[in-house]
This record gives sequence, C-alpha cells and structure tokens, in this order.
Amino acid sequence: MNRSLRAAAVAAITALALTACGGGGGASDPSNVSPTGEIKPREISWLLSRPADGAVINIMKKLADDYAKDHPGFSLNLITTPDRPSYIQKLETLAAANKLPELFDTDATPFAQQLAKQGKMVDAEKLLKSLDVYDDYRPSALDYQRFDDGSLHMIPFQFELEFIWYNKELLQKAGVSVPKSLDDIPAMCTALRGAGITPIAIDGQDQWPLERYVAYQPFREAGPEYIQKLKKGEAKFTDPAGQKAVEWLASLGKAKCFQDGFSSQGYSDAQNQFTSGQAAMYNIGTWELPSLATDKLNPDVRDDIDFFTLPTTEGSVTAANEFVSPSGIGMAVNSKTYDPLVSDFLKFALEKYPSEYAATGALSPTTNVETVVPANATPLYKKALEMANDLGDKQAMPWDTQLDPTTNGRLQQELVLLVQGNITPEQFTSTMDSTIAQNAPKFFK
Amino acid sequence: MLPNRSRLSVLVFLLPPLLLYGVAVLFPIMQSLFLSFFSWNGISDMEFVGLANYVRMLTADDIFWRSFFNALGYLAICLVLQLGGALLVASLLTSMRRGRELIKTLYLLPAVISTVAIAFLFVRIYSIEPVGLLNQLLHWIGLGALERPWLSDINTVLAAVSAPEGWRFTGLYMLIIYAALLSVPKELEEAARLDGASRWQLFTKIRFPHIMPVWITTTIMATTYGLRGFDIPYLMTNGGPGQSSELLTTYMYKTAFTSTDFGYASTIAVFIVVECLVAVGLILFMLKRKADA
Repeated sequence: MNRSLRAAAVAAITALALTACGGGGGASDPSNVSPTGEIKPREISWLLSRPADGAVINIMKKLADDYAKDHPGFSLNLITTPDRPSYIQKLETLAAANKLPELFDTDATPFAQQLAKQGKMVDAEKLLKSLDVYDDYRPSALDYQRFDDGSLHMIPFQFELEFIWYNKELLQKAGVSVPKSLDDIPAMCTALRGAGITPIAIDGQDQWPLERYVAYQPFREAGPEYIQKLKKGEAKFTDPAGQKAVEWLASLGKAKCFQDGFSSQGYSDAQNQFTSGQAAMYNIGTWELPSLATDKLNPDVRDDIDFFTLPTTEGSVTAANEFVSPSGIGMAVNSKTYDPLVSDFLKFALEKYPSEYAATGALSPTTNVETVVPANATPLYKKALEMANDLGDKQAMPWDTQLDPTTNGRLQQELVLLVQGNITPEQFTSTMDSTIAQNAPKFFK
Repeated sequence: MLPNRSRLSVLVFLLPPLLLYGVAVLFPIMQSLFLSFFSWNGISDMEFVGLANYVRMLTADDIFWRSFFNALGYLAICLVLQLGGALLVASLLTSMRRGRELIKTLYLLPAVISTVAIAFLFVRIYSIEPVGLLNQLLHWIGLGALERPWLSDINTVLAAVSAPEGWRFTGLYMLIIYAALLSVPKELEEAARLDGASRWQLFTKIRFPHIMPVWITTTIMATTYGLRGFDIPYLMTNGGPGQSSELLTTYMYKTAFTSTDFGYASTIAVFIVVECLVAVGLILFMLKRKADA
C-alpha cells in the first residue's frame, strides 16, 4: 500500500509538472493574415457545431474534396457537435488544454473575446479584406460576429432572420389579430387560451428560445446598447428597460402563453405542436424554412401559416425592420496553426461557398449571390427571403451570446421560474442583478 | 499466514491494479484538491486564492446549499426505492414457488438499459402535452386533479427525476439481497416456526440479522451511487426548472464546463468526496452501534 501511495504521489507530481508545461504555448501574430512560404498540404480540422447533414457541412466537404484534387494530401476533418451546450463545453475544454484545431466555431461570447485578446484567433476583418471578399458580406452578418469593441474574429456562413410564425385560422378562431405591439401579446394569449388553443409553442429544454423573449422589450425600449451595458454590470434589471422585460415576461407567464410543461419539451416537440395546428405561434428563424414553407409542411395547416416580425412598442427606439437577424455561429481561425495552406484553402473555399450555399435555398451571408427558391416551396418562402433585403442598421442580439456563462446559466434558470410564476418579478430582478455583479467583473476586466 | 513466496506473488499481482487505482482515482482527487485553492477559467493564468473558494461555497452560494439539500432528497428517494423495494421484492421472491427466474430477469432489466434511453422514456411518461403515461393513468383512475407537468412543477420535479434512478437499480439490489436471503439456514427458520414465530418475527429476528453484512454492503453501495447521481437528472431536466432538481454533481459539472470556473468546481468536487466518506462512515457507525446493542 505504501509503495503504491508513493507511486501515485510521483505520478501526481509528474502530471502536474507536465500540465504546467503544456499551459503555455505561444500564439503567432493574429494580424498577420497572409503568411508567406510554401503550401504544404496536410489534414486540417474544423471543430464545428452545425447539423451533421446540413448545407454548410455538405458544401465545405465538397469544396475540400475539390481543393484536395489540386493539393494531394489535403483533407478537411469536420468534427461536429450539433448540440450547442455540449459543443461549448468541448470548445472550452480544448481551449483550456491549448489544443484548438485549425478552425473552430464560436459565437461572439465573452469567452471567445478572451481567446481573441490572447491572440489565439486570426483577425477575420483583415483576413477577409486580404482575400478581397470583405465587401461581399452583408454588414449585419459581420456585425453579428463582432465583439463589442468592433473587432471581427469570426467568419459567418449563414444569414438568418427570426420571425414569429402564426396560424391564421387559430388566431381567427380566438378573435385576435396579429399584434401591433409587444405589449398586445399577453392579452392575445388570454384570448387564445380562452378558445382552447395553446398560444405559443416553445422549446423550453434548450433554454435559448425562452431567452430570446427577455431580449425583445429592452431592444425596443433602449436599443442594442442595453445588453452591452447590462452584461458588464453598467446597466441593471432595475432600469426601466430591464423592468419592462421582467414585467412583460411575468405577464406572458400569467396569461399562460407557453404550452404546459414547456420547460421539459424539446425542439421537435415545439415544432410539432405548431405544425400540427395545436399551437398558434412559434418563434423561429429562416433555417426552418424547409419545414415551414415547403410542401413538407402538414397540408392541414399549409395555407394557414404566415409570419410577422418582432412587433415594436410605443416609443420604440428601434424600427420594425430591426429584429433578430443572426448570421449563425461563426468560424474562427486558430492563429497558432495558421499557415499558407490554411490561408490558401480559405481563399479557395470562401470564394466558392456563397453561390453553392445560395443554391440550397438558404440566405448567404454575402450579397453577391441570389438565393434559389426550391421547387417545392410555398409562396411564404420567397416572402421570408425578401425580408432580408430591407433590414435596418440595428439588430437584436441573442443574450446567450452576450452574457458571461455563469450569468447566462442563472438567467436561463430564473426565466423559467419567472414565467411559471414560481418567483416574483422582484425576486427575479434582485437575483439577476446580484448574479451579474458577482460574475461580470471576472469576464469583462 | 501465507509463506513468503506466495506473499510476494500476491503483492506482484496486486500492485498493477493498485497503481491503476492510484492514477485513475487518487490522482484526480489530489488534483481537485490542488485546484480548489485556485481561481482558474481554463485559459487565464492560475491565481492562488487560498480558502476563498471554500468560504464562498459554504457561506455565499445559495445554489450550492440548494443542490446539497436536493442531493439529500434525491438520495433518500433512491434509497427507499432501491433498498426498500429490493428487500420487499426479494422477500416475496423467496416465498414464490414458480416463475422466480422470470420475475428476477424482469426486475433486473432496467439496470441493463442505457441511461439515455431511460431518461427519454421517463420524459415521455411525465409529459402533459402530449399527455404521457402517468397523467393518462391518473386520468383513467379518476385522479385527474393530480395531472401535472411533473418535470416542470418545482414541487414534483425532484421526486420525478429520482424515481427513474431508484427504479433502475431496484432489480440489481434485489438480486444481491435475494441471494443473501437464500443463504439463511432453513433449520433455523423451521425451528422458529415450530416455536410459534409469526412471519414478521421470522423476518426481524432471523432473516434480517442473518443478511446484515450484505445489507451493510448494499446500503453503502446504494448511498455512494445515490450521492454521485448525475446522468438522469442532467438528461431529464438539466437541473431545472430553476434549481429545483439541481444536484451537487450537476452543479459541479456546470460550474466546471459551462462557467469554466475550474477552481470553484474542484472545491465542490472535494466537498462531494468528503460527503461520500462521511456518509459511509455514518452508515458503518450506526449499523455497528445497532449490532452491538
């Protein structure tokens, strides 16, 4: 026993010493976007969080194969973890071990910003400019990827618009019309419930869908700056914009806007409730166009489905054409492994990507291509795409990409309690303000 | 006493597993202990903070205490279902003449099903929209008033996530206790019966004292498994709604891998290790005292 204990102690000390050595590890200059030297084909990896058989992955696979034809020995290893919380854990663990691959996905989170500050991510603005594609991108697609200081370290591969989809027939049955203001929604829910209809189908299990709702009122009341200040502790939930959000969410809960037991229902549960005609509204982005605006949609509701954009409020500082328009999780380029090969492949892929992507019926993050409407689309498909042509300058950022992870986790938990009526708006406000005060300083030093 | 040569060979054979145990179990525990004195988010420099993490955990963290008491509740429900259920089923099995094997297999079945499958199964069972099995049953037997979204109601969620874990391992402990019950000498039971002992007396005076050593082992196993419970609550509710089904383990996991607060997560991990040791100590102490009395 004594011997094994001693052996364990030796092993412990050795391993600790090894991890201490591995902790360092230099990064090369993140602003050097055109490395010189020979292109030596090898396998590069992209750690990503996108659907395994989705358009982005399929296209990048194809482009990598094309590139490999001229560069024998090159291959692109795509490692996807579509489940976002699992992905973030994987990314953060790899970052902690200093083992990030050549390319990796991340939102413009405070964690990513720390990586950028440490010089671990290539300056994407310089990179895109050096590849001469920067001006092709939609400004709002790039803005979505920027950190608060305006720096750009991630490249978008998508462009999406989030709408509130609704079922015309169900609204009619309850005698309500499309809300003119966010403040009309609670009363709408009461009327819909009165007619025996579930007002809003929501995926509570994944938590981000409910977190969208807390962003809406402050975006209308105080603009996109509120969350930028709130996350640093410079604004509070006790401020008018915050209070409006809290009170509004409590009233959504009181009016029973979401389906019973929503907190344990998943993505497909919520979508099924809407597409089977049980729920009247459903808040989701254009990535669901193939299931909401094509002949794949249940024929019983196909003609009854329409959408509206985020309603404004009285005295709203943001316009009706400004809402949530994310360009999806972005791709960061690891500065440590950035070399002529990675640079050359990105040049090849980013030039060809937009037209391939637009051909799948999705909105490209660039404006130099036209999206092809699929043959089986309903008229709604085109209507949804056209909304992208008339967007304002501001956009509502999803809060889960803005807050520090601890505050974000607590907010997601407390939101459920607030909407379920388990805590009062006052309790919610004080819990969240103290959580931010405790955690924000560590992340936004 | 073994001769010298065999003692050496025993040592030689025991050493590799001991080394493995040291590297796989003791080393991570030591490293957690080490990390718990630091503030470290994985990518920043490690900063020595002394006992600050422990002070924060014990005095300033409401979620920690909430998860601690949740974990105790979870443990209690698991123990009642696992040990109580196992003892009951095993006792009934001994008095059965036919179909023992079938019943044994059926009860053991959940223990071999994947946790993920069980979690998804129970999410469906507890569901209210669309109506799941549990709510449907309540409706049929006229207890419609009790229908609720079991996993969204903060008053029922802890019991709802504990039950699958308890149900899952009942069969396993049943098997162990059943084997112990079979070893109770028949002549002792017969003698007691001739002396006019009732079934209850037979159980409390003969059978249970006889299986006591096995009972202690199963209690320790079930308690430590219960204190380390993680997967089913994590998969079913992720600790929610709010912190209603947050256990120390899920909270520790989130602190480490979502909040990237590795130092503080290690502090919680150290607490879990201490808590398991204390629990085992308490069980041994109480049962020993009972045995002495």
